[in-house]
Amino acid sequence: MTESPSLGDFFAQARAGQLIGIKCGSCGALAIPPRQLCPECGQRKWSQIPLSGDGVIASFTVIRIAPRGHTGESPYAIAAVRLAEGISLLGRVVDIPFERLAVGLKVRFRPLVVQEQTAIGFGPV
Amino acid sequence: MRRVAVIGVGVTKFGKHDRTSAELFASAAADALADADLPASRIQALYYGNVVGSETEKQLHTSPQAASLLGLPAIPTTRFETACASSHAAFRHAVMEIASGTSDVVMVGGAERVLNVPTPDSTEYFAYASDASWEQTLGLTFPGVFALVARAHMHKHGTTEAQMAAVAVKNHKHGVLNPKAQFQKEITLETVLKSPLVADPLKLYDCCPFTDGGAALVLASEEVARKARRPIWVLASAAASDWMLISDKRDLSRVPATERAAAAAYRQAGKRPEDVDVVELHDCFTIAEIVATEGLGLFEPGTGGLAAEKGWTSLGGKVPVNPSGGLKAKGHPIGATGAAQICEIVTQLRGEAGPRQVEGARTGLTHTLGGNTATVLVSLFGRD
Repeated sequence: MTESPSLGDFFAQARAGQLIGIKCGSCGALAIPPRQLCPECGQRKWSQIPLSGDGVIASFTVIRIAPRGHTGESPYAIAAVRLAEGISLLGRVVDIPFERLAVGLKVRFRPLVVQEQTAIGFGPV
Repeated sequence: MRRVAVIGVGVTKFGKHDRTSAELFASAAADALADADLPASRIQALYYGNVVGSETEKQLHTSPQAASLLGLPAIPTTRFETACASSHAAFRHAVMEIASGTSDVVMVGGAERVLNVPTPDSTEYFAYASDASWEQTLGLTFPGVFALVARAHMHKHGTTEAQMAAVAVKNHKHGVLNPKAQFQKEITLETVLKSPLVADPLKLYDCCPFTDGGAALVLASEEVARKARRPIWVLASAAASDWMLISDKRDLSRVPATERAAAAAYRQAGKRPEDVDVVELHDCFTIAEIVATEGLGLFEPGTGGLAAEKGWTSLGGKVPVNPSGGLKAKGHPIGATGAAQICEIVTQLRGEAGPRQVEGARTGLTHTLGGNTATVLVSLFGRD
């Protein structure tokens, strides 16, 4: 494959429980799709790879004042998670009490559906 | 390239208004023209910042609307949208229009109206500046974005909630001295620390308010500016970007776009951070000021919190930051903010800032950040 999967491809697979990444066939850099050019070497030679879904929290917050459309869900936790493969995703943290959230805490991907849209979630390992 | 100067400034009172954003801009622009002592007929273009007009006012095409209300229906106009950095982006392009010789006199400005809608709505509209597929779906808010930055900074550098609170206390203290500020009231560390959580660890008083307001600048070529009363020279205007997604940023304790734009601006101006006497920077949240003072090279990485705590960024300190009160106390009408920051620096370099004057200021800097830290503009100014 040389083209990156689309946004739709990524979320369709995420909804089915599988995270996918892309690997540059020229320099080996990893990224989350979609992306046309490799930011490291400028080439357009992607191949799709499965991601394990395991990661650690790099930073987190608990949203108390939510935007219209999410007000009924608050408070909720959002974390930036560094995946085992070295790339990162932002996601809702579920099934972990707020007081246990910490930088470095191990978490595992799980698909969420927020208002009929697929979203990234992370739960306990 | 030709030298460019700011020869006129105007800014409305910040706070809640019952006027449209176009009215707010036009009022500030008429004040800027009077300040420049130029007839309106000299203006050859309008570069304009407005962000959520289509949401809060159901209004697109805001730049010709703004020019019409000012009374200049025929000049070319362009609206810029780079989230909260919009009118600073407009400013940079206007500087290029004059520097290139295309025009001699250009109006720059911006305006925003948001207090006509409830807070959950304005929170949602501002969140449109984050990614729709990856971030808005999660319910990420802008306090949430900077909460992630704050947590990373605290983890890496040991920055404390009290140090962040010191930024709010300092900017409110400065805001008391600015009659145009939304809040002219001192607060204490305790007020900040005991205020309700918005997005942990950020509390209500770590956040700037929603604000209505407008700001405008008259820019001129050197030839025109030499005849003006008090030209303030544009020494540099630089822009930089970073990854749009929060998750693509390698180190959330830093804002690389600030570091890139600052490096380019210092290079253009032939200046160093230690040459800067007064700064207006983007303190949309208290942590944002701390990270910006580091990214601009005013303090070493990790020491921005200490600088706030020790008073090094207060009026009378080593390098006064946000003498206007900043976004925190002066207010943050997002489309107008970049232009309003420049109004303050011009006023400071003219020596006309009254009780909030930074004595002897010769070189000033403005820094404006847009969205998920993906857009930053930095400009430098000097007087004769």
